[in-house]
Amino acid sequence: MLTVLVSGLASGALFAAAALVYNVMFSTSKVLGVTTGQNAMLGGVFGAWFIGNLHLPVALALLGSMAVGATFGFLTDLIAIRRVLNRSDEHLWLLSTLALATVTQQAVALWWGTEPLPFPRLIRQDFSAGLADQKYWLPIITTLLLTGSIELFYRRTLYGKLFVAMSEDAFAARARGIPTDRIRALSYVLSGVMGGLAGFSAGQLTFAYFALGITLSLNGFIALAVGGLGSNAGALVGGAALGILSAVATYFIGGEYQNTVAVGLLMVVLLVKPAGLFGAQTARPV
Amino acid sequence: MKNRRLLALGAVMLVLVTLPFWVRNNYQLHLGALIGAYWVLIAGLNLVAGYTGPISVGHVGLLSIGAYAFAILAGTHGIHAAPAIALAGAIGGLCGLVLGLPSLRLPGFYFAMSTLACSLIVGELALAKQGLTGGGVGIAVPGFPAPFHTPRGTYWLILIIGSAVTWLTWNVARRMWGRALIAVRDSVVTAQAVGVPVLRLKLTVFVFSGITAGVAGALFGSLQSYITPDTFVFEMGLFFFVCIIIGGRGGIVGPLIGTAVLTALPELAAPLAKLGNLLYGVLLLVVVLLLPEGIGRLFEVIVERLRGRRVESRPVAPDLARLAAAIKLGRAP
Repeated sequence: MLTVLVSGLASGALFAAAALVYNVMFSTSKVLGVTTGQNAMLGGVFGAWFIGNLHLPVALALLGSMAVGATFGFLTDLIAIRRVLNRSDEHLWLLSTLALATVTQQAVALWWGTEPLPFPRLIRQDFSAGLADQKYWLPIITTLLLTGSIELFYRRTLYGKLFVAMSEDAFAARARGIPTDRIRALSYVLSGVMGGLAGFSAGQLTFAYFALGITLSLNGFIALAVGGLGSNAGALVGGAALGILSAVATYFIGGEYQNTVAVGLLMVVLLVKPAGLFGAQTARPV
Repeated sequence: MKNRRLLALGAVMLVLVTLPFWVRNNYQLHLGALIGAYWVLIAGLNLVAGYTGPISVGHVGLLSIGAYAFAILAGTHGIHAAPAIALAGAIGGLCGLVLGLPSLRLPGFYFAMSTLACSLIVGELALAKQGLTGGGVGIAVPGFPAPFHTPRGTYWLILIIGSAVTWLTWNVARRMWGRALIAVRDSVVTAQAVGVPVLRLKLTVFVFSGITAGVAGALFGSLQSYITPDTFVFEMGLFFFVCIIIGGRGGIVGPLIGTAVLTALPELAAPLAKLGNLLYGVLLLVVVLLLPEGIGRLFEVIVERLRGRRVESRPVAPDLARLAAAIKLGRAP
């Protein structure tokens, strides 16, 4: 039973990281990018490639994965967001990010193959460690670190305050002389780095698998909706709740119903508290 | 104008009906039937995604439900094909209602994610319920009884159902309903303000699209003759959506052409088959970024360029006699 909880918490940490990535992108652009999961997928796949095929040291591979994530985040903004936001049609960003996510996933499938490949060990450790195994605690620690640093970033740095200002009111921020386009590009780069880092650290849990992105986009979104859009603490709580619930359901009912249980949780939360646990109520436009 | 349209429609129908006599082999006929089966689903989805606006990428789940329902009813239980198709449609509609009732209340992104989740859940259940669906091994789907048992007969059956669905959607689209749907797509708040029952409208077209998806599933399953959960991948749901977006939202002919071209393209050009899903993604990206109104808009623009823009001239000249009369009378004459 303890194994179930720990493994649930570990995958929940990955969902929470995806929810954080959503939050960072949402803060500056009000866009929920479907590419979120692809960030982490690229981190995992490129991490495995750097270590397994190119035989780079772990630290260098980590940097490489983050760089890949950053590049992908920048490209997301450049290709799928910038042109579309200027046109201000509500649905277009959903389509453009969905298209970009599909292109990325299929390109990785062609290059990397469609089989999930094992991710190399990052730290020398025996496989008999059981619950203390690195594949459980690495993603948990990474997500906690990510949450802490993103909160510090928002509260203590000028750029973080610019993010907050843009999330409050982008037009007002622009009127005060904030280069909103550049800040938005920066937030996408940052989200890419975070996704790459999360995917790299959870690689041993998820394997280097091309189809991870779409599941992670969905589960990260559920974690976010449960916790409340825009709230980082909510992302942590929602991710942990979703991960543990999925693991317990897998233990008692069977692994085939994981998505069903996840969506059930989403529906219950949306019915009881539509804004999520920590979310702010939004007014309906009339 | 109307006569020319009728003439064109008649010519197209003649070509479609006689298609089995001038295709070169049965494979091309199968392709034609496959396009028809896809179109039955896409015609219904077009009312949702093209006219009303909610982005549903999960109709592959409803297609899968229809295919499995037909396979189980007609195959396992041996029911006649005609009521089995109708029941597959009814089950698809019911599932559409169950899916749409909670999720259509949600804003755009939440709805898209719910439909995505629906397609994943259906895949999971098809895998899990081994006694019913055969699990990962799959299940054989029976063909249609005589006179529709030959490839030609199957094609004509699909043509009949496809034409009927097209006629239904055309009737919905061009009357008051269609106007209300477009109003909801362009501005929900405005539509509400002028008395359009938004949720009921969305739910109705969504259930209709569920019914067509169920019927399409029965036709599609019978064409494939064997289905597994891997037949109904998420990318297929995206493909349906791409057909509509490429053809242009808010029309029927555009998505129809989009369906035919996109289905035939990877099948006829062999090297493209492996790249199929990548191609759909790239196409969607290009169309969304460059031509959000669909490829049809491109032709319109080209035609406009070639003909030269027609400039209407309406000279405005004062009616001096009338003015003089008005001054004399002290009021408008």
